[in-house]
Amino acid sequence: MSICPPFAPFFGFAGVASAMIFSTAGAAFGTSKAGIGIAGLGTFNPELIMKSLIPVVMSGIIAVYGLVVSVLISAQLKPDGYSLFAGFVHLAAGLSCGLTGLAAGYAIGFVGDSCVRAFVKESKVFVSMVLILIFAEVLGLYGLIVALILNTQTVGIEC
Amino acid sequence: MGYTSYFSYGLPSFLIIVVALYLLFTGSGESFNVGRFLEESSPYAWAGTGIGLCIGLSVLGAGWGIFVTGASILGGGVRTPRITTKNLISIIFCEVVAIYGVIMGIVYSSKLSAVDEDLLYTRENYFTGFALFWGGLTVGVCNLLCGVSVGITGSTAALADAADPNLFVKILVVEVFGSILGLFGLIVGLLMTTEAPEFKAAASLATTAARAVVSPFVH
Repeated sequence: MSICPPFAPFFGFAGVASAMIFSTAGAAFGTSKAGIGIAGLGTFNPELIMKSLIPVVMSGIIAVYGLVVSVLISAQLKPDGYSLFAGFVHLAAGLSCGLTGLAAGYAIGFVGDSCVRAFVKESKVFVSMVLILIFAEVLGLYGLIVALILNTQTVGIEC
Repeated sequence: MGYTSYFSYGLPSFLIIVVALYLLFTGSGESFNVGRFLEESSPYAWAGTGIGLCIGLSVLGAGWGIFVTGASILGGGVRTPRITTKNLISIIFCEVVAIYGVIMGIVYSSKLSAVDEDLLYTRENYFTGFALFWGGLTVGVCNLLCGVSVGITGSTAALADAADPNLFVKILVVEVFGSILGLFGLIVGLLMTTEAPEFKAAASLATTAARAVVSPFVH
């Protein structure tokens, strides 16, 4: 059993894939769910649409978090000199960023949809909507931070 | 009734537990060996599966988005026929997702070259096989999600357009945010496979035993 078996990059690539796939799932859910609410708002009051695009932008940011982690992990993958330890740590980094992005996107979708519908009737809801969306977004940020910390731990293992 | 969850979660778990305990109690617990499976399986199997999933899932996403949007456009067009031409943009946004899948399928296919099985199992070839599998899966699933998201948003845009023509351009912004997801998947898929060399035979038969065939599980 060697420290750098030839199948170690399998887990590294699995990390890259899970970071991108799960955060895209969260971002896609957030974009479509909030978009439905925004169209509903637009039929009543079209001037408010530009302000209510905030949930959609935040869902896009979740996808960018996944992209950043994927790019950082895939820069370190190579066929020689890649330890199984590094493979599992990269898998952990990808899963942490991806699954938190999925949760954040899910929350942003529901919050965005219901809050923009309330925004039509009562314009004071806007500030609390932004606050709630920030708390939801920060979930994805925590996953990004953990992924970045994990990513820096993989140096130092020699085959 | 409520029994579908028993079959979908309970039956597979039960089968897995029975197989695992059988292996454990008959003394062949060592045969559950993930590393052996990854080393024994051909890199071509991984690469081919990845390429197939890439194009298949991308086209699935594009088709899903097109039917969701198209149904709304045609339904709304009954009362307001003016929406039918302008909303074809949403259909094109969904189609672009399929184009991404085709492009990545072609790029990945260029790495496939025939290598004799004795000289196949090198570290670089394992790396390329895994890269193409996970890259193809990433591109495919990201395009699937993007296609569905653009489809739902395009359907929303069509119905908003039917209600009020000024809304179309504003809801189109949401659709653009949805379509960047497929682009991100394309970027990550490309990044994963730039480092992966194409399939190459081991350097020479003399060095095969020493360096190339790196796995004790092959032959």
